[in-house]
Amino acid sequence: MDLSALASQLLVGLSRAMILFIVSAGLSFVLGVLRVPNVFHGSLYMIGAFVAFTIAAWAGEPALGLALAIAAAPLVVALVGLVVERTLLSHLYQREHLMLILFTFGVMLILNDVVKLVWGADYRSILPPAALQGMASAFGLALPRYNALLLGAGPVVAVAMWLFTHRTRVGTIARAAAVDREMVGVLGIDVSRVFALAFVVGCYLAGLGGALVAPTTSISLGMDHTIIIEAFLIVTIGGLGNIWGALVGSLLFGVTQSVGLLVWPQFAVVFPYLATVIVLLARPTGLLRSVW
Amino acid sequence: MTVPVRRPARASAGAAVALLAALALFPVVGPAFAVYVLALILVTGLLALSLNLVLGYGGLYQFHHAVFYGVGAYTLAVAVTRGGWPAWLGFLAGPLAAALAGLLIGWFCVRLTRLYFGMLQISLGSLLWIVVLRWYPVTGGDNGIHDIPLPAVLQSVVGAYYLILAVVALSAGVLYLIVRSPFGITLQAIRDNAQRCQTVGVDVRAHQIGAIVIAAFFAGTAGVLYVALERSVFPNLLFWVLSLEIFVMCLLGGWFTFAGPMLGAALMVALRTVIGRYTDLWTMFVGIILILLIFFMPEGVAGTALARLRARGAGAGGRG
Amino acid sequence: MTTGARLLWALLAAVAVVTVGVAPASQSAPAPQLGRNIKVGVVDTYSGPPAVFGNDALNGFRLAVNEINREGVLGARIEFVTRDERFSPEIGLSVARELVLQERVDVLVGTINSATALAISAFARDQRLPFIVWISKSEAITGARGHRYVFSTGENTAMAGKALAEAMARRPYSRFWLAAEDYEYGHAITNSFWRFMKRIKPEVILQGQTWWRTGEPDLVPYLTAIASARPEAVFFGTGGAGMTNVLRAMKTTGFSDRIPSMIHTAIDHAVLRPLGAGAPEGVMGTIDYLFYHPDTPANRAFVQAFQTAYGGPPGFPAFHAYNTAYFIAQAYRKAGALDREKFIDALEGLRIDSPVGRIEMRACDHQVVLPLFLGVTRRSPRFPDFLVATDIQTIRGEDVMPTCDDIRRARGQ
Repeated sequence: MDLSALASQLLVGLSRAMILFIVSAGLSFVLGVLRVPNVFHGSLYMIGAFVAFTIAAWAGEPALGLALAIAAAPLVVALVGLVVERTLLSHLYQREHLMLILFTFGVMLILNDVVKLVWGADYRSILPPAALQGMASAFGLALPRYNALLLGAGPVVAVAMWLFTHRTRVGTIARAAAVDREMVGVLGIDVSRVFALAFVVGCYLAGLGGALVAPTTSISLGMDHTIIIEAFLIVTIGGLGNIWGALVGSLLFGVTQSVGLLVWPQFAVVFPYLATVIVLLARPTGLLRSVW
Repeated sequence: MTVPVRRPARASAGAAVALLAALALFPVVGPAFAVYVLALILVTGLLALSLNLVLGYGGLYQFHHAVFYGVGAYTLAVAVTRGGWPAWLGFLAGPLAAALAGLLIGWFCVRLTRLYFGMLQISLGSLLWIVVLRWYPVTGGDNGIHDIPLPAVLQSVVGAYYLILAVVALSAGVLYLIVRSPFGITLQAIRDNAQRCQTVGVDVRAHQIGAIVIAAFFAGTAGVLYVALERSVFPNLLFWVLSLEIFVMCLLGGWFTFAGPMLGAALMVALRTVIGRYTDLWTMFVGIILILLIFFMPEGVAGTALARLRARGAGAGGRG
Repeated sequence: MTTGARLLWALLAAVAVVTVGVAPASQSAPAPQLGRNIKVGVVDTYSGPPAVFGNDALNGFRLAVNEINREGVLGARIEFVTRDERFSPEIGLSVARELVLQERVDVLVGTINSATALAISAFARDQRLPFIVWISKSEAITGARGHRYVFSTGENTAMAGKALAEAMARRPYSRFWLAAEDYEYGHAITNSFWRFMKRIKPEVILQGQTWWRTGEPDLVPYLTAIASARPEAVFFGTGGAGMTNVLRAMKTTGFSDRIPSMIHTAIDHAVLRPLGAGAPEGVMGTIDYLFYHPDTPANRAFVQAFQTAYGGPPGFPAFHAYNTAYFIAQAYRKAGALDREKFIDALEGLRIDSPVGRIEMRACDHQVVLPLFLGVTRRSPRFPDFLVATDIQTIRGEDVMPTCDDIRRARGQ
């Protein structure tokens, strides 16, 4: 095994981790602020991919199509999230957690059939523009161009989330609500609106992950099942509600899988799970401090 | 979230006997498919009952209960097909293996509370699921194990039905006694106020682990009964979606009542059978029903019915 | 009476409701000769990722049933009821039971899901009811786990694996890599290919193998890892969404330009069409049905009728299901009665004219004998929007099927 192959492999693994990070950051943010593990987060990711497909197909021209899809599909998903939150979820905040979780499960069941009704069962696919097809090489490392783009997307989202939670008023309040929601209520802030915003941001990230992954995969029913369980594991090993934890968890996931492929390709699938169990046995509350 | 603890009244016992008698006579009059559906309801119902011991009575976020169901089913399947064990030994090993899995997973989970408990359980459960999915030589991977050789008497639906009826009735009885036992009462006290129980010297964790182990044992029992009925096992038996479905059954029937989850399982299985005939959008229907329940009937069908009956009973001066 | 007692009475009422809810379905109107209509129960996946194949098969079946019912089968018609197994065997088993015990079907057909097919197969044997598998390619169905009551109207992993191994053995490669999706079909097709490869060309070396999880969205990491090991040729075992993903990743990484790659059903238009220009050229694949080959009147007529009815060309599932309906009709005509055992006797060795020519239901293992087509993905002026198979070679089914002796050995007879 030569060193450049190993490095290339790591980079590809990192680019995969970026998608996982974007999706699980959204899950983690909602979990932190609302204390709801959103079971339909995976469905939103799937919807993001399908909407991206529809937009790209409508635009026709690949470069414009992809740009529009990545810009608009997450917004559509965020809108779905907003509607669900305002019409239904917002009436349940006083209820028990179990009810909230079951509610999100119910929405998942409905959304999955809605996707089937709207887009049918055929496999869909987005062709990236010519500039993003094929391999890019730099410093002797070969990497698919689109994966290079993904490598950039992860840090952008991480920085944007940091700015949002630290430099905007509403973001700071959301972060405070994650730590102590009574306190925020006492300060006379409308907690319900903070929750709505946090939920919509989480949904946006799910949609963004779906739109970004769309050009690399076949967009089909069932793509929600894998991502949701991985996102749950990542959020758990990272520390519930901690966005940086989601980043650490995603990297652990992506890199163990990538390295696993090189050292023991037959059982590479098991590596991320193995890493998860080792982390959880050592630190049942996750690597980073949970927000609650 | 309090369950009134009452001594089993004579009328309740009478109703239980009547129900048992009706169930026992059912195969004589009912069509074969109805017998099968009823058997499936009993198996699923036992699974939901066992979940409710930890969920409703223990107040624990048991998010991945299906794992114990799957462990029970797979233990029997693997023991008989790969190990060549006699079926009866497999039937015993299944629930015991599930209880062992409950001990392991429970031991880690009870160190955490509420949502963290649930998330950790989903993680650990998913690990078991991926092992089952990946370990082809033993578990058959995603294909599962089919055509499991069991005693001839179980080859007919009616034979399997009677075994299931007997075991489920016995298990439900034992669960009922456990809920009413000092252990069960302490468990409910821990659910309502763990801190106070701790201060008066109750070993909270030990009780919680105990409850998880018992619940896992009966989930494993349901698992081996599933194999008795279908003679097949699949990885879906320990997939997280099934865990949430059992949750829905408990909610649907009402998790503040002992028999509610059984009723919820009956409704879900019957709904699936009926709706599945007319549409392939049945999951959407379940989703809509679930959301309606959460909004309008959070205590479930049984819970709501009980509340109504109690209100009326109080008005009529209580005939009980 | 206590509230608890009332609850138990409510449960009793629920039992009654179940009884009523599943009461026997009405019988169909009587027809002459056969006495009543033939009732077929269809169990297949109509939700989840493989629904595209389930729907295609159902369309092909419906088309054939409509054609058959125009003249009827001994004065009767074929009716069918469908049930969605949602790609989950426990639902499949449950609905199969319903179709047999409740709807009283004469024949069960389905399914894309190998696990469901094997589970229903065992159930059908216990019920002594014919079950015809029309998409699942698991060789166990008519091989090691075969029995009197199960049939397959599609090619299987044993046939495809041998066809590809023979094609590869003629090429100068000896260092192979096996890469497959980690599910039953992936294992079955890959094991079959390698088993035959070693038998035909004992000097081949297995350089390494890779397994990816079902639903893995981006397969680029897997391909780059394989490419860095520089094998001489790679066999991929996957289908459906996984196939689309691996083809797309090949295009992205230029994998198939550098390393000869082969996949069973890589030339299926159900995967090539959605990929459009995103599909890689030069991938070798096999399949048992192509709507543009052979270019015979029979195939053109089938494609034309299918296209008119459903707005797109038929895929291999539609082809299998179309043939299945004709096998059922012919077998009842031959049997002359709605009798399960007579039906099976009639179906054994039965030959029908399919869109690709005459095909036979082999008597010894109930596996259909039909040709396979080997081709390479290329652009073609005939179809500007997607890649098709070119350099098509036809492989006779009997040349790649296990012999009847092999089958008997596999079944431990």
